[in-house]
Amino acid sequence: METTPVFTPDQLMMPETIADPYPAYRQFRHQTPLNYVHVPGGIFPGVEEPIRAWALMKYADVYGALRDHDTFSSARNPLIEKGVFPPLALITDDPPRHTRFRRLVNKAFTLKRIEALTPWITTVANTLLDEMGTGEKELVQSYNIPLPVKVIARLLGIPGEEYPTFKRWSDAFIASLVSMPPEERMQNTQEMITYFGQMAAARRAHGAEDLITALVEAEIEGESLEDWEILGFCMLLLIAGNETTTNLMSNMFNVLVDRPALWQRLRQDRSLVEPVIEETLRYEGPVRVLLRSTTRDVVVSGVHIPQGEMLGIFYGAANRDPDGFPNPDEFRLDRDLRNHVAFGMGIHYCLGAPLARAEAMITLNAFLDRFPTITRGSIPAVRQTASPIVFGFEKLPLVLIARGH
Amino acid sequence: MRLVIDHNKCRKVGQCHYLHPELFRADQDGSPIVLIERPGEELREAVEEAVDLCPSGAIALKEG
Repeated sequence: METTPVFTPDQLMMPETIADPYPAYRQFRHQTPLNYVHVPGGIFPGVEEPIRAWALMKYADVYGALRDHDTFSSARNPLIEKGVFPPLALITDDPPRHTRFRRLVNKAFTLKRIEALTPWITTVANTLLDEMGTGEKELVQSYNIPLPVKVIARLLGIPGEEYPTFKRWSDAFIASLVSMPPEERMQNTQEMITYFGQMAAARRAHGAEDLITALVEAEIEGESLEDWEILGFCMLLLIAGNETTTNLMSNMFNVLVDRPALWQRLRQDRSLVEPVIEETLRYEGPVRVLLRSTTRDVVVSGVHIPQGEMLGIFYGAANRDPDGFPNPDEFRLDRDLRNHVAFGMGIHYCLGAPLARAEAMITLNAFLDRFPTITRGSIPAVRQTASPIVFGFEKLPLVLIARGH
Repeated sequence: MRLVIDHNKCRKVGQCHYLHPELFRADQDGSPIVLIERPGEELREAVEEAVDLCPSGAIALKEG
């Protein structure tokens, strides 16, 4: 008989729960909003007291909070206030500042712009696959990391060959301090800031067809962006542009490798590629939790939450709420796939959603073209636990079997 | 020109009425409602931006 694991709320941000969060979500969802430790005390320099927040896990609560940005503000982040992180653009902004900034970069990520990039992304994907070959491969390092980093690097206008460096900066930024000493994190962040500062200066001198040029030339109500604002944008786009897509693709292949019949159906009927990606986003979306804060006293599911409190929005928990999705723990293509909150909802809805979807689609189609069969590798897959905010894999060994083998 | 929403494609994300409250509003369940079905030429730029920015590709501008 299956026993129900018993978690305490303070385990929500601990490695074992990061690796496998759904049992804890099942246990806690009906009790939410629930107060928990979002960041333990004493691990970040200058943050001695734990940072507590209210976990939102019900679909209706999460959807409601994401759509009500006046009550649930994005502008407060205790770790940024304490100087642990530099401020990022957009995700830590409220209107009207958010509106002006979003408008500035929106055009680079529209469906139309992403469609125009599709042939180039396909070439990058196929080049990586040519280099990778067939047989047993560790997919995270050999494909799922390099593709999104190369793509976002090109959009920003930074050389794609340096992608291991960008990945290191980005990992350091989202890592919990449990997994990385503070000095190492600070050094990585400092390197990233210096690098983007130099890139911005270079683009001021000589413009190019890229996002960094667009940012240095942009004017909002007659004023140029400050250097720290440009840095905030570059860091946001670099970090958000790769961690999430890497983990989306890892989660997708992890689901598909155990469903050989679905793999065969997909090979026959490519109209299923899009639903598979949307259901992966719902079933195992790559973003675990992001923060909001209350701008007034508010009642959520009968719980009174005072003004000025932090809230953790648990996207994956909402996406498995039986009140939002019947049989939520089953991976099924025959449900309404439009309602998941894997990319958020409302004003902060993922800017890069069309790009992430395109990368996942191009990738899945390219794998289906090449590999009639995929199976698990000889060593086990390893879930990532370094970052409490993403859900994905550190290692995903797969055997890629090509035609005629 | 006529501004239309394909509610089968719409994910009720809310970008349209956030960025263009002059053209859209949300009903109780978050579904967008077109406020000006036949926007004039003076609104063309806003309308084209709204069409472009919908992450679900659910907004279209039809001639006639």
